[in-house]
Amino acid sequence: MSVKIEASHDGIPHNKVMVIGAVISLVSLYIAIIGTTLGVDYLAFFGGIAAIGALIWGNSTIKKLCSYGIGTGVPSAGMLAFGSGVIALLFASTLSGISIWIVPVAALILGLVVGLFLGWISNSVLNMKIPVMTRSLAELAAVGSLALMGLGAVATGFVGFMDIATFDLLGVTVYNASYLGAGIIAVSFMLGAIALQHPFNACLGPGEKQDRTNMLAIECGFLSMIVMAVISFAFVSLIAAWISLVVAVIGWAVSYVKYVALSKRDAASWLDAKPFSDSEE
Amino acid sequence: MQEIIIGIGVTALAGALAAIAGAAEDTESNIGSQGDPNSQVQLAPQMGYTHRIYNKAVSGEPPAYTLWVTLACGVAWAFLMLGVNAILAIVFGTVLATFVQGVYATTAYLGRTASLSKFGQPVFIDVIKSVTTVTMAHAFVAIITTVTVCYLMMTVIGHPFALPLLGIVWGLALGAAGSATGNPYYGKERQYQNQKFGAGVPISASGNIVRYAEAGQRSSIDNGFFTAKFGGPASGLCFGLIVFFELWRTILFEDYLAGWGAVIAGAVIIIIFMIIDRYVEVWGRKNYGPYTVEASA
Repeated sequence: MSVKIEASHDGIPHNKVMVIGAVISLVSLYIAIIGTTLGVDYLAFFGGIAAIGALIWGNSTIKKLCSYGIGTGVPSAGMLAFGSGVIALLFASTLSGISIWIVPVAALILGLVVGLFLGWISNSVLNMKIPVMTRSLAELAAVGSLALMGLGAVATGFVGFMDIATFDLLGVTVYNASYLGAGIIAVSFMLGAIALQHPFNACLGPGEKQDRTNMLAIECGFLSMIVMAVISFAFVSLIAAWISLVVAVIGWAVSYVKYVALSKRDAASWLDAKPFSDSEE
Repeated sequence: MQEIIIGIGVTALAGALAAIAGAAEDTESNIGSQGDPNSQVQLAPQMGYTHRIYNKAVSGEPPAYTLWVTLACGVAWAFLMLGVNAILAIVFGTVLATFVQGVYATTAYLGRTASLSKFGQPVFIDVIKSVTTVTMAHAFVAIITTVTVCYLMMTVIGHPFALPLLGIVWGLALGAAGSATGNPYYGKERQYQNQKFGAGVPISASGNIVRYAEAGQRSSIDNGFFTAKFGGPASGLCFGLIVFFELWRTILFEDYLAGWGAVIAGAVIIIIFMIIDRYVEVWGRKNYGPYTVEASA
C-alpha cells in the first residue's frame, strides 16, 4: 500500500494526453498501412510518428503510476510495458491473415487485455494494492504494443506477421534475415523501453514540468526513429530509408533544441565555466 | 582438434575484449554518475550541497548498456546485410550507439538538474561539454569490444542466436558486472572520501558527497580518474571471467552428454566460485573485522 505524492501540477489532464497519444499512434499506423496496400514503402516513416504518439501517452501513464512512490521503479515500468506489449504485438500481427486493417486496433485492444491481466496479478495475487496499478499496466502494455508496431513499420515498412517474419533475399524466402528472425525486434524493444521510461525518469524532481517532459518524450521518439531508419536500409527501398532518416534527424534536432530551451527556462541558473556559490561558505 | 584450438583462441580473445569492456563501462558510469551512486548525486542539492557532479540518470546500468550494445549490434547487422566489411559495420553501429548514449546523457543531466531548481542547483554548460564527451569516449570502447565479442560468438563459434539477441544478453551482463562490481567502490569509497574511514555511511552524511578537489571544485571526470585504478579493473576482471568461462565450458564440454556436459561444467564453475567467495569473505571479516569505536573515545 502506498501513498500518492503529486509529481507536478499538470496543464493537460492525463485522459486527454492518453486520447491524443492513442489517436496520433493509430492514425499514423493506418497511413503507413495505406502505403503498403498501395505498394509503396516511403510512408514507412509514419511508423515513427506512431511510436512517438504512443510514447507521449505512455510517459503520462508512467508519471501517474510513479506518483505512488515507486521512484526507482521508473525504468522497470518501461521494460514491463514492452515485455507485455510484445505479446500483444505478435498476436495482433498474425491477425493480418484476416485483414491488415484490423492489426493496429487489435494491437491496442490485445495490449489492454494483456495489461489488465498483469495488473490483476500484481494487485490481487501479489497484493501490491496500488490504486492505479491495473489501469496503468493495461495502458502501458497497449503503449508498448503500439510503439513496437510503429518502430517495426519504420524498419520494414510492414505490420503483418508474414512480412516481418520473412525476408525476400534474391527471390528466396528466408526467415533468419527478417525483422523477427534477425532479432531486430530486440533493438526495437530496447529502444522503445528506454525511450518510454527516460522522459519522466530524467525530469524527475520537485521542479518537473509537463511540457518539458513531453518534449523529451518526443525527442526520445525521434532518436529511436533515427536508429530504426538506419537499420531500415537493410529492408526497405533506398528512397524510403532516406525519407525516414531525414524526417527523424530533423524531428530530433528540432525537439532537442526545444528541450534544451525549456531546460534553460526551468533551471535555477545557467552557468558556463563558473563555480557554484556554496551556502555553507 | 583444429576447431577446439580456434575455439580456445576465440575464447581468450573474447575474454580479453570483455575485460577491456568491463573496465571502460565502470569508468564511464562513474564519470557520468550512473547506477546506484546516482541517488546521492541527486540528493546532495536537496541537502544543501550544490555540486558540479554529472547526473546521468538514464536508468540502471544493465538496461542502459543493453540498449547501447543491442542497437550497435542491430545497426552492425544491417550494414553487414548491405555488404559492408565486418569491422566497418561494427564501427558504424558503435558510433551510432555512442551518439545515442551521449544524447541520453545530456537530456538526463539537463532534466534532472532543471527539476532541482528549487534547491538552487545550477546547470553547468562546461560540465556538459567536458564530461559528456569523456563518457562517450569510454562508452565507445565498452560498446565496440562487447559488439566484437558478440560478433565472434556468432561467426566463429556459430552461436545460434542472432546478433542483436546476443547484444541483449551480453549488454545486460556487461552492465550488471559494472554495476555490481565497480559501483560499491565509487558509491562507498569515492563519494564519501571526506568521511572518517571505516565509519560506513551514516544517515547524517547523506548527500554530503565529495565536491571539492585539491584546488577548486570537482567535476565528475575526477571520479573516473579515481575509480579507474581499482573499480574499473575489478569490473573488467569480472566481466572478462564471465565471458571467458562461458565460452570455455561451451567449447570444451559441449560434445559430452548431448550438450549437458557444458551445463554440468557451468554448475561446477559456479560452485567453485561460491566456495572461493565464501573463503574470501570469511578471511576479510576475520582480518579487518567489524568497525569498532576507538577505546580512547
